[in-house]
Amino acid sequence: MDRREVLAERPVEKSRGFMPGVSVNPSRVLFTAGLTGRDAAGNLVAGGMAPQAHRTFERLQAILAHAGARFQDVAKQLVYVTDIDAYNAVGRSERASIFGSTRTASTGLVVRRLADPAMLIEVEMVVDLQGAPQGKPLLEKFNAENHPGDFYQGVIVNGGRLLYLAGQVANNPDGSVAGVGDWKRQAEKVYENIGHVLRAAGATPASAVKETTWVLDIESWRASGTPVRRAFYNGEYPASTLVEIPGLARAEFLVEIEVIAAVA
Amino acid sequence: MPFSTITTPEAKPVGNYKMATRMEGGRLLYISGQVAWDASGNIVGKGDVRAQARQAFENLRGVLQAAGGDVESLMKITTYITKLEDFPAVAEARTATFKGELPASTLIVVKALFHPDFLIEVEGVAAV
Repeated sequence: MDRREVLAERPVEKSRGFMPGVSVNPSRVLFTAGLTGRDAAGNLVAGGMAPQAHRTFERLQAILAHAGARFQDVAKQLVYVTDIDAYNAVGRSERASIFGSTRTASTGLVVRRLADPAMLIEVEMVVDLQGAPQGKPLLEKFNAENHPGDFYQGVIVNGGRLLYLAGQVANNPDGSVAGVGDWKRQAEKVYENIGHVLRAAGATPASAVKETTWVLDIESWRASGTPVRRAFYNGEYPASTLVEIPGLARAEFLVEIEVIAAVA
Repeated sequence: MPFSTITTPEAKPVGNYKMATRMEGGRLLYISGQVAWDASGNIVGKGDVRAQARQAFENLRGVLQAAGGDVESLMKITTYITKLEDFPAVAEARTATFKGELPASTLIVVKALFHPDFLIEVEGVAAV
């Protein structure tokens, strides 16, 4: 608790409804998965950007409420859209209709594709929670809704130390790329590297709080990468986001995965 | 510095960045994606990725300083560009910003940023 806004008065961000920076005392922090415009049955709501954006923020509200938080407690949001013109035209106002005038640190990106080809928006948040971490488990992983996915909708970190990994790619220790053109081999190498780094920091796969998977092709990732991911986490999934983008730092890379974890 | 750097011989960074950082104290600062605009919202360096990268990193520094830190306080940055061929120019500006080693770092080529004039956006999380 104790959220502080940084440079809140700067007109350039103020006019766009966000904040240059937000700092929090990291005693209790909630990381949400990337949420989208799916209905209770798991189907994408009909009607395009406006209903999808509305549903996305409505679902985020439910996840925050589950953790005892409100939108005023959000430190950071990341908004992924596939159509920026549609978001500017009708998405922003949907956000405001639920979020009100609350401003948060924010990043907005136009990506190539989200989990479903018809998906236009996905939003994830980092939230400052009230209350003391004492007497609570280090990680509280939860779902606010039933869903069939291999992830949690929210993970609360109670105390402990946050661990930020660089985006992991299929690099060998000598700098060469493992599995050029081979999705399965790259997935194995990326999770092998994540495992090494987690271990070096006193963590395990179960310590992962949030994961962002950047891929050049979602269908190839699902076919070849998902089984590797499933074996790595063995049920102890983080909150996660999967995004298709046109490129990574080297033309050979097919996937890059960022992990945030926490240790006591 | 209220964070430590994690290293392991089994997974090494390919480049001048940290593989992971672990927060050990201080406050957790989230910085919005910074682009090449000035304080009144005018774009700096339209069509010039080098100038945009310099401005975006300067803006990042400005937010860090306002929060009581500096670029050394960053645990992790994520740099978004719109064309892979812009990476060398961005890397140059980044190196000039950090002097020593970069924080943990991710580079992603996105389809676009929130305005077509922007070629680079950089966000960060810091311990201050």
